[in-house]
Amino acid sequence: MTSVTGKKVFSISVVTMAFATLLFACSPAQEAHEPSTTISNMSAQSSAGYSDVVQGKVLQFPRDHLAHNDYKIEWWYLTANLTTSKGEDVGVQWTQFRIGMTPPTEQLATTENDWSSNQLYMAHAAVTSKDAHLTAEKWSRAHPKLASVSPSPFTVHLQNWQWQSQSDDLFPATLTVNNPAFHYQLQLTSQQPVQLQGDSGYSSKSADQAVASYYYSQPFIDVTGEITRHGVTEKVSGKAWLDREWSSQFLTKAQQGWDWFSLRLNDGSTLMAFRLRGDTEQDHFYSARRMYADGSGRNINSRDNPGDIDMQPTQWQQTALGKHPIAWRISINSEAIDLTTQAVNPNSDMLVSTSYWEGPINIQGSHQGQGYMELTGYR
Amino acid sequence: MKTDAFATRRLLLCLRLFASHYRHAPLQASAILLGIMLAVTLLIGVYATNANAKQSYGNVSELLSKQASVSISHLTQDTINEAIYFTLANAGFDAIASIEGVATDEQGRLWRVNSSDIIAAISTGLAQDEQASSSVASVNIPLAELLAGQPKVLMSASQQERINKVTNQSQTITLNNIPLDIVTIDEQWGLGSALLADISLAQPLLNMQGKLSYIAVFNADKSETDSELITRLTHTLTQAGVDSSQLRFTTQASEGESLSALTASFHLNLDAMSMLAFVVGLFIAYNGVRYSLMKRQKLLVQIMQQGVDRRTVMLALSIEIISLVFMGCVLGFIVGLQLSQWLQPMVALTLEQLYGAKLLPGNWQWQWFAQALALTLSAAFAACIPMLLSLVNTPLAQGAQKQPQNKQFNIIHRRQFIIAVILLLLCTVAFAFTEQYRHSLVLLGALVVAIPLLLPQCLHWVVNLLSAAMPKGLWQYVVAETKEIIAPLALAMMAILLALCANIAMNTLVGSFEITLKKWLDARLHADLYIRPNPNQMEALIILLAKDPKVEATYEQWTVDSSLSRAKTPQTQVPINLVSRDHLSLTDTTVFKTTADNFWPAFTAGHSIMISEPLSIKYQLNIGDKVQLSQLQQHTLTVGAIYYDYGNPKGEVLISQSLWRQSPLPTKPFSLAVNYQGELSTLQNNISQQLNLSSAYMYSQQRIKTEAITIFNKTFSITVVLNSLTLLVAAIGLFSACVMLTQARQAPLARLYALGVSRNQLRLMVVVQMLFIVLLTCLVALPMGALLGYLLIHKVTLQAFGWSIAMIWDWAAYGQVVVIAIISCLLAVSLPLYWQTRKPLISSLQQEAL
Repeated sequence: MTSVTGKKVFSISVVTMAFATLLFACSPAQEAHEPSTTISNMSAQSSAGYSDVVQGKVLQFPRDHLAHNDYKIEWWYLTANLTTSKGEDVGVQWTQFRIGMTPPTEQLATTENDWSSNQLYMAHAAVTSKDAHLTAEKWSRAHPKLASVSPSPFTVHLQNWQWQSQSDDLFPATLTVNNPAFHYQLQLTSQQPVQLQGDSGYSSKSADQAVASYYYSQPFIDVTGEITRHGVTEKVSGKAWLDREWSSQFLTKAQQGWDWFSLRLNDGSTLMAFRLRGDTEQDHFYSARRMYADGSGRNINSRDNPGDIDMQPTQWQQTALGKHPIAWRISINSEAIDLTTQAVNPNSDMLVSTSYWEGPINIQGSHQGQGYMELTGYR
Repeated sequence: MKTDAFATRRLLLCLRLFASHYRHAPLQASAILLGIMLAVTLLIGVYATNANAKQSYGNVSELLSKQASVSISHLTQDTINEAIYFTLANAGFDAIASIEGVATDEQGRLWRVNSSDIIAAISTGLAQDEQASSSVASVNIPLAELLAGQPKVLMSASQQERINKVTNQSQTITLNNIPLDIVTIDEQWGLGSALLADISLAQPLLNMQGKLSYIAVFNADKSETDSELITRLTHTLTQAGVDSSQLRFTTQASEGESLSALTASFHLNLDAMSMLAFVVGLFIAYNGVRYSLMKRQKLLVQIMQQGVDRRTVMLALSIEIISLVFMGCVLGFIVGLQLSQWLQPMVALTLEQLYGAKLLPGNWQWQWFAQALALTLSAAFAACIPMLLSLVNTPLAQGAQKQPQNKQFNIIHRRQFIIAVILLLLCTVAFAFTEQYRHSLVLLGALVVAIPLLLPQCLHWVVNLLSAAMPKGLWQYVVAETKEIIAPLALAMMAILLALCANIAMNTLVGSFEITLKKWLDARLHADLYIRPNPNQMEALIILLAKDPKVEATYEQWTVDSSLSRAKTPQTQVPINLVSRDHLSLTDTTVFKTTADNFWPAFTAGHSIMISEPLSIKYQLNIGDKVQLSQLQQHTLTVGAIYYDYGNPKGEVLISQSLWRQSPLPTKPFSLAVNYQGELSTLQNNISQQLNLSSAYMYSQQRIKTEAITIFNKTFSITVVLNSLTLLVAAIGLFSACVMLTQARQAPLARLYALGVSRNQLRLMVVVQMLFIVLLTCLVALPMGALLGYLLIHKVTLQAFGWSIAMIWDWAAYGQVVVIAIISCLLAVSLPLYWQTRKPLISSLQQEAL
């Protein structure tokens, strides 16, 4: 559910980040003159021409692991809480975004040339410890040799960053990310069935169900591998979490941002929880799913279970990007969950083209454990 | 304290006095300001243009992006396989796939198309420099359409304006039969004159499917050196099974340096011209200052008699000069920046066509103003201090009497003449020994100083000769007065002499060059049609031509980039074009400067080579020298002949066809020349249709000639413009000097009128006097201009560009500049005469005499 990032960037017209400003922004006057050209235009518009997210659609695998080019935005998103051989806690993130530049109805000019494409890929990676937060970013158009999502075997790649599975399924797979400052290679295995979020994979993003996405997760992944930071290589092992999400419109105009949590609890269960922020407390939309290794789980949201989920910031931190809530109290009465979370590294800004806060967290309270938190829309 | 206060008050008083003097004589103030302004304008105009160009070489960056560290191209071919780019990108290198090519529009005009993977270009640019975003944030690129391969090209606003003028279409252009929409983007993206397309459009547009021109690689880690990066690239490519020995790795630093070296002479020439214009401008300003001081001589003595001390007067005069210089500089600076805006497209065109250098829009700097101000101030003081000192030191007892100035000026003029003669002699001797164009330019500078110094004394002698021959009466008066006005007019005349000489010299150079170039083209071009297809179409083209019965002969040419070194010093590599042609073409079309004895047998055997004249002169290579070529390292070759080459300032080496074939060089010819019996257009259409080859790749002999001359004219347009500006400045200077002088002579003229000389006679007299001086100056300019032209052609151009040119004298051009001088003089004289006739006699009589 890294969606916030994607969403925030592509659907809110005030884009403050460097790349977004550079590449996609244009003044309101220009927008008026030039329909359908830049991404900021696209995000400001409705998803006209793109496919809609509809309730009741049955997700099919392995087909739905692949790209859905008829939707505007999509991502493959992995977070991992790992421990090095020296006992240091390290968080790892990898996300590959797909952005549909034009609706599928618009024809490409030349079909023979692999360079012509209406799909753009962007990938983010980070390694976060208590003292350091390393980030990197890559861009490419969709091109079979440069960036693609392909089957047989299942591969998600953007140049030398890639998720390489051994089959058409997601696992077992190797995730490789290479950068001058850091690189990692992780072996990922999972025996558990995927978890469909929301209503069988239809995930509402507002109380009135005006916007939604297709969303499924694999919260039970075992990880071994190596991480190299500034030339020093260490063995790591731990747990990871994969999110897959796609849609043509994520946020309503009134929504400002997103607080998203992936929590691995010490009773063996996992919890996904998010809050979409409206103008006031009453406008916030809450959603969560408690998930178990056998594939079962329970959905809770603020429309069907008003007041059940409570998420409150308890500590704020001024980072380079803005003032962020780095500690939370999260309670779900019906699940007997009452937790406090604390960021491992309060300065976990992702200062890339589309900036947001994202980093590992520790959990105390009714349950203990580790997880990841993503915050967007704070300034 | 009290004395200080008095001193300040006296100083202020003096300044107020001088200010009101200029209020009464605005002409004097404007002459001074105009001179300074024009001098600074030309100086700054050229300086800014040059500084911008030089800065551009240093920052040669990938379009839409940043400066790359290394660029990878094929050693012997135009293109590389795009698979190499995928290998590098997937190995994690920060790289941009790039394509350069030429496309033709519906009218057969050629357009350079640059192209890259726009996403890679923009994201790499950002990763390298976060701050770039703020300056280019305003851009609105239709990214989706570009990526989708839609027919859209990006163009800078200024380039689009230029195109509008040519095509009368603002939003579309049809290239290689594909109609393209033009998207205008901000100048700050540094597109220059390029058309930028996304690679998805450029590959089909330029018929380069699966191919790239080069790959720009960026240094991700700043601590990594270029050579380490190249080692890493080679390693990666070798591991991926790519033969990296067929690739050329060029570091951006070396590219910038070689561009700077190649264009150095061009910029030096511009600098020299701007200095000349500056000097001419200063002459005018100096003339103005001197005139205004002369007019105030009486006033100065009077205020000193009234107790103002010499120090205060001196200080006040200095402050006056400083403020005039400052005002003139500010005005000149502003106009100069405007001028540079106007010159830059011209310079950009020249540099692009001559050297393939791209120019980026630049920003002006405050330092330029400071430099111009410092230069002007020091020049102004150096010129004025002696005059100020002598004025302030005038004995008070001399009172307000007019000094016998003529004697003093005669001495000065004689001294100037002696200095000039000595300088001329020194230059003549030194010129025989110069080998470098920089030294020659310094000598040329000395000569430029010497020439005007000759003038006043020459004028004196001619007038003295005349006075003996003149009848008594009015004519004697005319001659005597002419003698008297030589001194006040001398400076303006010197300025116009300088400008005339420079103009005559430059016209001679350009005219001679054009004729030499045309002759050379006639000899060099022997075929009817020249074709340069894409390398992959060459074979098909050869087969097609062989089948056509009307094709009389086919000539082949091979070309690769190479470098040459002397056998003794193999480490010093000179970049050259290595060329070979079939034997017939070589014997028929090469115009030799010199050849060794028994040259042809040695050449055909592959023992000796021919080198172009620019290469021979720039690196002092002569017949018999032993050299090595980078692609033929097992051979040591002898320079056997030097041939003329006006097409290319870069060095060129010709080797025999057999030697080419033995060497590891591309076997397919680079271009073909065809002799055809029949309608050339039939052949062209035939080739176009059968090979789908755009007519952009085919040149008829006539078209080459026309384009060569067009390029030539553009190359010299900037120099011609600067020269005309200098002449204009000098003409303005002459005008202002004549106006001031004629106005000052109103009293004696009125006296003559009162004595019975008719107005017509008076007018005739004044006009004859002025014309006489101007014509004499033009006469002096004739041999001196020819001398300068000779040195420009046979020394500076030869040494700087390596082109030997036969000097051809152009009387029409000379006549033109003489006419300009006469017209500006006539205008300058008639205006004050007209004023005078409108004034009552008494007011003219009351005018203060000279």
